Amino acid sequence: MNTDKRKVLNGYHVVFLAQNLIIGTGLLSLPQKISAVGYSQWMLPIVFGIMATITLWPMIWINSKYPQENLFSINEKVLGKWMGKIVNSLFIVYFVFILASLIDNYMLLMQTTALAEHSITLPIVFFLLVLVYIVNGGIKSIARFCIMSFFLTILLLFFLRWSIEKGELSHIFPLFNFNWTELEGAMRKGFMSILGYELIMVYFPYIISQKKAFKHTVIGVWISITIYFITTLVSVMYYSEWQLKHIDYSVLNLLKAGNLSFVERIDVLGVTLWIFLVLSTTAGYLWASKKSLESLLSKSKHYHSYILVAAVFLVMMIPIEREYKEKLFENIFYVSFLMILWPLFLIVVHLIKKKQVR
Amino acid sequence: MKIGKLLRAKMGTSSYEKVQSEERANNQKALQTINQIKEHVKHMSDVVLKDIATVEGIVTIIHCSSLVENMTMQNMIFTPLANHLNQIHQDAEVIDSTDTEKIVSNIVVGHTLLYFHRKNLLLSMDTFSVSTRAISTSEVESTVMGPQDSFTESLQTNISLIKRRIQNPKLKNEDRIIGTETNTKMSILYMEHIVNQENLEKVKSRIDKLDYPGYPDISILKQLIEDNPLSPFPQFYMTVKPDTAMHYLLDGRIVILMDNSQEVVICPTSFFEMFVSIEDYYNRWTTTSLLRMLRFGGFFLTIMMTPMYISTLTFHPEILPYELLVNLQESRSKVPFSPLLEVLFIELIIEVLREAGSRMPAKVGQTIGIVGGIVIGTAAVEAGLVSNILVVLVAISALLSFLSPTFVMSNTSRFIRYIFILSAGLFGLFGQMLAFAWLISHLLIINSLDTPFMTPIIPRKASDLLNSLIRFPTSYLKEKMGISRAQKK
Amino acid sequence: MTGKYVVSVIVLVAISLAGCSQKEQKVPLEDVGLVGSLSLDYIDEDQMKLTVAIPQYSKEAKKQTQIYSVVTELMSEGMVEIEKNSHKKVILNQLRVVLVDEESARSGQATKVIRSLYRNAEVANKVLVAVVKGNAEEILRAEYPDKPAINFYLSDLLQAKMNTAFNPNTNFHDFMYTQTNPVIDTIMPSIEGKDGLIELNGVALFDEEKMIKILSPQDALIIQALQGRKKIAPLYLSMNHESYGKEILLLDLIHSKVKIKSNKNFESPKVSITLKVSGTLAEYKGARERDLDKKEAIVKLEKDIDAEIKRDIGKFLEKLKELKVDPIGLSENFRMYYNGKWTTEQTKEIISKLEWDVSVEVTIISTGTLK
Repeated sequence: MNTDKRKVLNGYHVVFLAQNLIIGTGLLSLPQKISAVGYSQWMLPIVFGIMATITLWPMIWINSKYPQENLFSINEKVLGKWMGKIVNSLFIVYFVFILASLIDNYMLLMQTTALAEHSITLPIVFFLLVLVYIVNGGIKSIARFCIMSFFLTILLLFFLRWSIEKGELSHIFPLFNFNWTELEGAMRKGFMSILGYELIMVYFPYIISQKKAFKHTVIGVWISITIYFITTLVSVMYYSEWQLKHIDYSVLNLLKAGNLSFVERIDVLGVTLWIFLVLSTTAGYLWASKKSLESLLSKSKHYHSYILVAAVFLVMMIPIEREYKEKLFENIFYVSFLMILWPLFLIVVHLIKKKQVR
Repeated sequence: MKIGKLLRAKMGTSSYEKVQSEERANNQKALQTINQIKEHVKHMSDVVLKDIATVEGIVTIIHCSSLVENMTMQNMIFTPLANHLNQIHQDAEVIDSTDTEKIVSNIVVGHTLLYFHRKNLLLSMDTFSVSTRAISTSEVESTVMGPQDSFTESLQTNISLIKRRIQNPKLKNEDRIIGTETNTKMSILYMEHIVNQENLEKVKSRIDKLDYPGYPDISILKQLIEDNPLSPFPQFYMTVKPDTAMHYLLDGRIVILMDNSQEVVICPTSFFEMFVSIEDYYNRWTTTSLLRMLRFGGFFLTIMMTPMYISTLTFHPEILPYELLVNLQESRSKVPFSPLLEVLFIELIIEVLREAGSRMPAKVGQTIGIVGGIVIGTAAVEAGLVSNILVVLVAISALLSFLSPTFVMSNTSRFIRYIFILSAGLFGLFGQMLAFAWLISHLLIINSLDTPFMTPIIPRKASDLLNSLIRFPTSYLKEKMGISRAQKK
Repeated sequence: MTGKYVVSVIVLVAISLAGCSQKEQKVPLEDVGLVGSLSLDYIDEDQMKLTVAIPQYSKEAKKQTQIYSVVTELMSEGMVEIEKNSHKKVILNQLRVVLVDEESARSGQATKVIRSLYRNAEVANKVLVAVVKGNAEEILRAEYPDKPAINFYLSDLLQAKMNTAFNPNTNFHDFMYTQTNPVIDTIMPSIEGKDGLIELNGVALFDEEKMIKILSPQDALIIQALQGRKKIAPLYLSMNHESYGKEILLLDLIHSKVKIKSNKNFESPKVSITLKVSGTLAEYKGARERDLDKKEAIVKLEKDIDAEIKRDIGKFLEKLKELKVDPIGLSENFRMYYNGKWTTEQTKEIISKLEWDVSVEVTIISTGTLK
């Protein structure tokens, strides 16, 4: 489609894309993931925010050197056609796995809370169908979906109020009550949950005002960080350190404390409403992988997303043991660090090339 | 009058024969033409040919009697023929007497043809006059406040209803003839200095591209030119109220009218405007804001309520308060079906009642409605076919579905509800939320004239927010809505 | 463009087809037994008696509640056993109240069961727990002729009146929070069945996993006040004044505010507690009754009440010091300044060495409408 090349994303689209691609299932288990630092974990989201802002800069820089290209065509331009294509196909594999792990994570949660005693194969199929539907609407419809999901799910923050009432603010003291190994462990596990902003490298060419893209993305990132900060702070106030470490989806349990006269268990409502956040995050990744496939095959077709989704489904259905699978999905997140650092590598190659030309 | 006519006829008789023979000799061609026309209208029994003698010789009058009323013939043809022939020459249009195609097409649109034998001159007069309904109040969109007149099935009346509200030379109406078989007249109305030219071009080109035999109603035209014909949602607004049409014209929208259909189409429009009634602007802003929230919330409630019943009962008994659950258990204890079937059963009964009520003659319909509502409802609960709590829920959601001022939207909400019911039956709340996500993304994807349908929920302009769920006092509503992309002054 | 339509059609068709063929038949609500309350009785080290109360909605049944009891080693095993006896699928999704008898609380068995219930995703976190003096099963089985069904009676009793009357209600989250938090020890209400009604008559105090003592409501009140609860139950005081003799008064507490400061010294810990209470004097019996319309007399009375409450708090803290438990969470004020992991041992040490400095400030807002 020729409309694909048109610039479609306004400033607020960029803000909410960045914001919503970050919050997937990560938030649900964040307090548990960074529980290694104990009660001091409420400071970590801020650290993550700073790290994200710093790593965002090279991404924007390399993209602004090629304002019409996305990450994949930049790969081809900088690394040469064949090298680029190989890297891009690796990216597809990475995206497929990260999608599988995101959806798998959420579906497992579904199975434990809302769909007990149910097989989740059929729910996954329907989830993927809706996902494809969103993605085939293009990046703008994903951005709009992000805006809607933000406003639909932000209401959940209201349900934290019971936990705040019950919590002890004194838990945040003493400040910096951790050592380096604890911090390192928490950072490694927790940083994954703020991944998602790196997709800016893919949708950058669609942004109308590219000069402000950095500012908008940073705003989006920090909205997410604020939400992360609030939830970790409330978790710290509400839980004991043992609970932080041992409750899997502590954010859900925060919702469980809620008390409405007509709804007893807000957590069920919350976890099903969470589907909006998961859909918007996965839609971003699926769209990025579709773009990557397009750059590989040099044409754009709607059925590409079906192929990718089928691949995701197959990965999720691999008949291997649960434990091994979880390990696989966990490790795929370490690849994400590579993705964060990838633009640095591109910048280096770009600069070397430029010198050679001179 | 009569005597005068007779006199004139007698006076003419003497010369008549002379002239007639002259003409017969001179105008063999004329006769041929008449015969040709006769040949073309052979099986159209309502086409009348009449020879009338006048000062200028014999005139053959041809018209289609079912499209022209006798009074019109009298006033526009017979009287001038007898008295002021000049008037006819001034009014009528000369057409080529050899072009039989055109002659016939003139007859079928209600023109009267006058053939002057002596001069071999064919004139055509627009005498189209069919009986039309009087302007009456609207049954479909009744309002308490504001003007009560509504459009009729006559294009001319409808245009006049709008034009008398906007007496401005900038209000343009472009006519088109559509329908490859029916040659239906339609008109595109817009304010020249406000409307977005791009939108106008789009509408025009979409209409020009149409190739469809006939349009019993404008809704068919609407479905053909909408952006997403597969969507369950209407993407153009339809109304029978001229004040609504006027309101949107002034906002820069395009209004499409068609002969023979009461409703007019307004485009582009947004999802939210489906819940807006023109009465909203007549009411106080506080009342209006309340009503709008009710209607808009009602749409989501009506699609969510009965599915919620299914998912809580089958999947998540923990989310309801204990007391309510025990009540539910009690009322469900006699019901033999699963909640899904139970809901489908009673929803279908409601649909049947509604459909039967709307097909029946008005007087019978009302009684059937009461019988259906009370008798079937209570009897079904007593018989243990459905639980009483469900009857309450279904009744409320049926009422809620009629909150939307646009009838098509309320039909849509009922259809959407079935999707939600089935998905709730499948996966409980998860299915419901998935369906909700689908609904939201669908609404975000579809367009109305290439403008996103979901505005102003995601506003195109900040000022749209002043006229959304909360309607600000009228003095604040100066800006045009973002969706109409009006020209800037 | 057409891809979108294809997907939407596929989704629609698939949903409608799948909706028709429900493979996994869910148990409909009416065939589910919703356990409302559950009780636990100690038999020996390994075994316990599990009793559940399930509401009976059928009109033919004589009783409103069906009770099942089973002797078992494990919670889940017991549930399976109960399901065998019941004609319904028994689920814990709507569990409201868990009662444990004193013995199982003292032996630590109760803690284990609650811990396993807390882990269960079906069970809410707001399930209330209480210790029963005597047999817990009896409470569920007893007849309460003028009360609603036992499930509702129990949950209302333990839950409502949260802000006004004495009620140290404890739910699963509170229980687990206090169990796992080293700076605070668990308390939970204790109830007793008296013919035809259930009485809330004290607070069970836990030392780690085991219950050690049942405290009086008066002590529970102090715990609540010192924990910083803003609204607490009416305060009943009986004073023995040197010049006025025996006095009895009831203070309807409207607002209480507490400030606890520690000296940050782990060797010789000391806390200063400032309690500000304001309320109305609901009832007074004693020698000063006639003077109470005078401002000075009230100020004097306030001073006397201050001293009395101060003495009560002192006595209570003394008791805690002896038991080496900390249900108030006083050691939190030391943990805040401690870098590193805080342990239960440290709490015990702090409590056993604790010195305090209490100041109480009572304000009587009014003495009623009579002058």
